[in-house]
Amino acid sequence: MAGGASATAPSTYSPSPNQKKKPPLFKDGDLDWVRPDGREFHQCRPAFFRTGAVNAAAGSAYAEFGNTKVIVSVFGPRESKKAMMYSDMGRLNCNVSYTTFATAVRGQVLDQKESSSMLHKALEGAIRLETFPKTTVDVFALVLESGGSDLPVVISCASLALADAGIMLYDLVTAVSVSCLGPNLVIDPISEEESYQDGSLMITCMPSRYEVTQLTITGEWSSARINEAMQLCLDACSKLGKVMRSCLKEAASASEES
Amino acid sequence: MGTPNAVGDWSSEMEVSAFRRLFPLRYYERHLSESIRPDARPLKRARDTIVSLGAVASSDGSALAKIGSTTMLAAIKMEVMTPSVDSPDEGSVAVEFHMPPICSPVVRPGRPAEVAPVTSKQLFDCLLSSGMIDLKELSLIKGKAAWMAYLDIYCLDADGALFDAALLSAVAAFSHLRIPVVSLNDEGRMVMVSKELEGEKLDKEPVDKERRKLSLKSIPFSLTCILHKNYILADPTFEEESIMETFITVVLNSSGQLVSLYKSGGPVLAHTSAIQECVALTRQRMKELEEIIDEAISTMEID
Repeated sequence: MAGGASATAPSTYSPSPNQKKKPPLFKDGDLDWVRPDGREFHQCRPAFFRTGAVNAAAGSAYAEFGNTKVIVSVFGPRESKKAMMYSDMGRLNCNVSYTTFATAVRGQVLDQKESSSMLHKALEGAIRLETFPKTTVDVFALVLESGGSDLPVVISCASLALADAGIMLYDLVTAVSVSCLGPNLVIDPISEEESYQDGSLMITCMPSRYEVTQLTITGEWSSARINEAMQLCLDACSKLGKVMRSCLKEAASASEES
Repeated sequence: MGTPNAVGDWSSEMEVSAFRRLFPLRYYERHLSESIRPDARPLKRARDTIVSLGAVASSDGSALAKIGSTTMLAAIKMEVMTPSVDSPDEGSVAVEFHMPPICSPVVRPGRPAEVAPVTSKQLFDCLLSSGMIDLKELSLIKGKAAWMAYLDIYCLDADGALFDAALLSAVAAFSHLRIPVVSLNDEGRMVMVSKELEGEKLDKEPVDKERRKLSLKSIPFSLTCILHKNYILADPTFEEESIMETFITVVLNSSGQLVSLYKSGGPVLAHTSAIQECVALTRQRMKELEEIIDEAISTMEID
């Protein structure tokens, strides 16, 4: 694989200090606890979106939430694979991959298959598949840097890329996650917070239609806290939807002027 | 109405965009005979080029390079290895060039692009044979520990001249590289000296006093040209590369010496004069690129 570094490549290790020795992020009963980046518990990171990041693609978008940076390209609608059966409905094909430098230690394997399938499930309900029969739309995501809440960022960015490609959607899809850390709910967690979380909840929804396309809950939750977390996520989703919409409008008015 | 069997006559009746897709070669040749390219460039001019350093916060050195639409993101991560017995006082470099499916409609997941491993090897040969990096500078403790610099280059947008953009981003990433400060711990492993641990247990002196940069000598710069009939087109786009299939890539170092020259076959056989012309064009391009890199370094140092 690596040029020159053949089969005899020596084994290497990262000199970064051992993760296990770090003190826990959050101690029980620590009431003055502040988030590592100084945010309030219910405050998201500033979101930055830009469409048209990749010229070679039919549509694309770049998203940056703190240290989480992703690019999503959309190709098609184009001919489905030869082996595919005839279909009146269009097909959606999703793939998520990470760069080798996305994580602190090089090449830490993240589950890309699971992210790909989650992305597919989050988007398929929002796309009007009947508008491109017999063909496939490919949605490919690359996480340039993983800084926490990667999947929600990928999903939001992908729906923006689909809109940029002119694929018919019922609405933009926005995604936000919440981590449960001891007695606190923290929204839009960074990697460090995710590694200590007791539970996590992610909602992907279509904010203008107020419809949820995907809801995943892991870890230990009481139903009261689930309600609280869902409300937090839905509020954040609708705000995120506005940011994404204004990004699309900006791009459209810029292209009209030129 | 023209006769349908004479392709040339169709052009007067057809929309330009249709003609471009149906008869791409003729479309290009018409432009070339007027000494201009469809993107309004003269034949021998490269596209606008941007380099910015420090794009990846989690790496030890990184750079983003853009030539026209072609975009490359290069990042270096430093890891520790035991040096080989043959060269106990030398570190090593590993280069990997990636073409993720986002960069081009021709790359699909699970079916990696064929050019990626070829380009990896070319980049590795180029970076090492140019003598840019002194591998002895990557040594930590002779015979015991040395740095392995993992250079990963991701193509984010593929629009031709991939090798040139990849080499530019690689060189820029090395100029941005700062080697972490490490010291030997009790278990005989190198560990990063972080601010939190400072003053706590520094029983062993760190190997370096501060984050060190590499002294880069004779930096390699490249230019890819298309040969088509008697025309030479510098810095081709993806469309040009897919229509005209003979390329020459010349790599020169900053002292003007030839590092390498690739002409991997192709239907056009090059005269020596054409190759000389390509080398001359690369020499000009090298000056542009040197300025761009110097500017990127100086803007970073101000920040």
